[in-house]
Amino acid sequence: MTWHSLFALSTMEHRHLLVAYAAVLIIQGGYAGWTAWNWLRLKDTRH
Amino acid sequence: MEQRNPTLRGVAWLWFGIAIAVLVVGFRQAIFLTPTDAAQGDVGRIFYYHVPIAMWSLLFPYLNFAASLAYLYWRRRDPLKALTADAFALASAEVAVVYASITLITGSIWGRAAWGIWWAWDARLTSMLLLWLLYASYLLLRRFSPTGQSHTLAAVLSVFAAVDVPIVYMSIRWWRTQHPAPVFGGGPNSGMDKSMLPAFFWNLAGWAIWGIFILLFRFALERRRQLADQEAALQAIEASLEIPQ
Amino acid sequence: MNYLRHVLDHLRKDLRLEWRSRDSINGMLFFALLVVVVFGLAFDPTSYPTTTRQISGGILWVALLFASMTALNQSWARELRNQVLEAQRMAPSPASALFLGKAIANMLFVLVVEAVLGPIFIIFFNLHALGNLWLLALILPLGTWALVVNGTFFAALGLRARNRELLLPLLLLPISLPALLAMVQATNGVLTADLDSIQIATWIKQLAGYDVIFTTICILFFETVLNAE
Repeated sequence: MTWHSLFALSTMEHRHLLVAYAAVLIIQGGYAGWTAWNWLRLKDTRH
Repeated sequence: MEQRNPTLRGVAWLWFGIAIAVLVVGFRQAIFLTPTDAAQGDVGRIFYYHVPIAMWSLLFPYLNFAASLAYLYWRRRDPLKALTADAFALASAEVAVVYASITLITGSIWGRAAWGIWWAWDARLTSMLLLWLLYASYLLLRRFSPTGQSHTLAAVLSVFAAVDVPIVYMSIRWWRTQHPAPVFGGGPNSGMDKSMLPAFFWNLAGWAIWGIFILLFRFALERRRQLADQEAALQAIEASLEIPQ
Repeated sequence: MNYLRHVLDHLRKDLRLEWRSRDSINGMLFFALLVVVVFGLAFDPTSYPTTTRQISGGILWVALLFASMTALNQSWARELRNQVLEAQRMAPSPASALFLGKAIANMLFVLVVEAVLGPIFIIFFNLHALGNLWLLALILPLGTWALVVNGTFFAALGLRARNRELLLPLLLLPISLPALLAMVQATNGVLTADLDSIQIATWIKQLAGYDVIFTTICILFFETVLNAE
């Protein structure tokens, strides 16, 4: 598989593959980002 | 705590870096290097994200259980340790829900693409759904219960959930062998070809390292929030003592 | 048997309070009746007797589940008035006796509802059970206890929560799913005679096992929940 074929949105299989991988990255990244954002926000009040 | 900070930060960043590196290698293996599956085509590559995450999603509930028991044990004996245990319990429950959600979503997408159905009420899927429900209800309890009580109540619920998980699994497995559901062409671990192993193991390791990172990060955040609360409470007490008689 | 006496005292108290107002039982009966009627309207029981038999077990337990939730929420509300709960906490009797008394009281209320609901169910759905109906005398109490024991516990858990009425079903349903599975499968097995006696016996044993495990956990942890602050 290549980058080109990964983003080939013509077939259902490729769309599903892309959506699945994107979902994983978005959910994990989103959770990590939310945690990081709260971490930075909370940091200011302590010292 | 101040002196440990720089080393701890360094380790945290290093661990994060390792997680990302391993995941990138895993991604490359899964998408570019592993040959296309003969039966399923390229959609079968979802396997390399879905299965490792599904496997690790079974770990975090047990961490939550252990932390909840620790909380209940230390609650009256050593409140500060208990608070730490509670922070860990919350973090592990959240990560459990994240991993279980990903498992359900990617599994559903994969099922739709490969076998034409979004869902099936077979043993594995139903057990995973119930796991998700149990830990989602744990998080909701923490949100809805009044402050001061939420730690204890959630810890008790966690015991119920942890006892329930194996019961759920056994009862559903017995139910589904009574009325066999459509077979999905063998479980994912049966007949894993040698060519699939590198991608699988890289992703298994990657998501484990990432899981540990995000768990400890969330735990540290919760600890920080707890300490900030304690500071605020202390300041409020001191302020009230300074009021002239 | 001091402990037993405490349990009976709590039980008598709850029964007496309920007898005076009869809120819970009336509410439950009406709710369960409504559920039966709505399901009867949703599909036509008379035209499809086989399908009716196959799903009637599930409908019965869904009706009982939702009806008992209305009662469970109310059962602890009694303890909140006049600071009775604080008094209970300070009382020397074991907290689990309070829990057991209340759970048994709730069990009796739901059993009364079942006794009334059963004939109505049979009439409205033209049910003609194909299996051994006496097994239901075993399945119904075991299943009801599974719902009531966890329900009473989680109703106490959410007692001072913001969304108390919402919290109970959110907590109770996921935990009860294995028991619900067993009781629905067993009831369906009896009504449709699709399952042989060994399979029904296995479901009943699973249900009994669930009851024992969760009753133990509830009794052990009730003290913790009562003194959660």
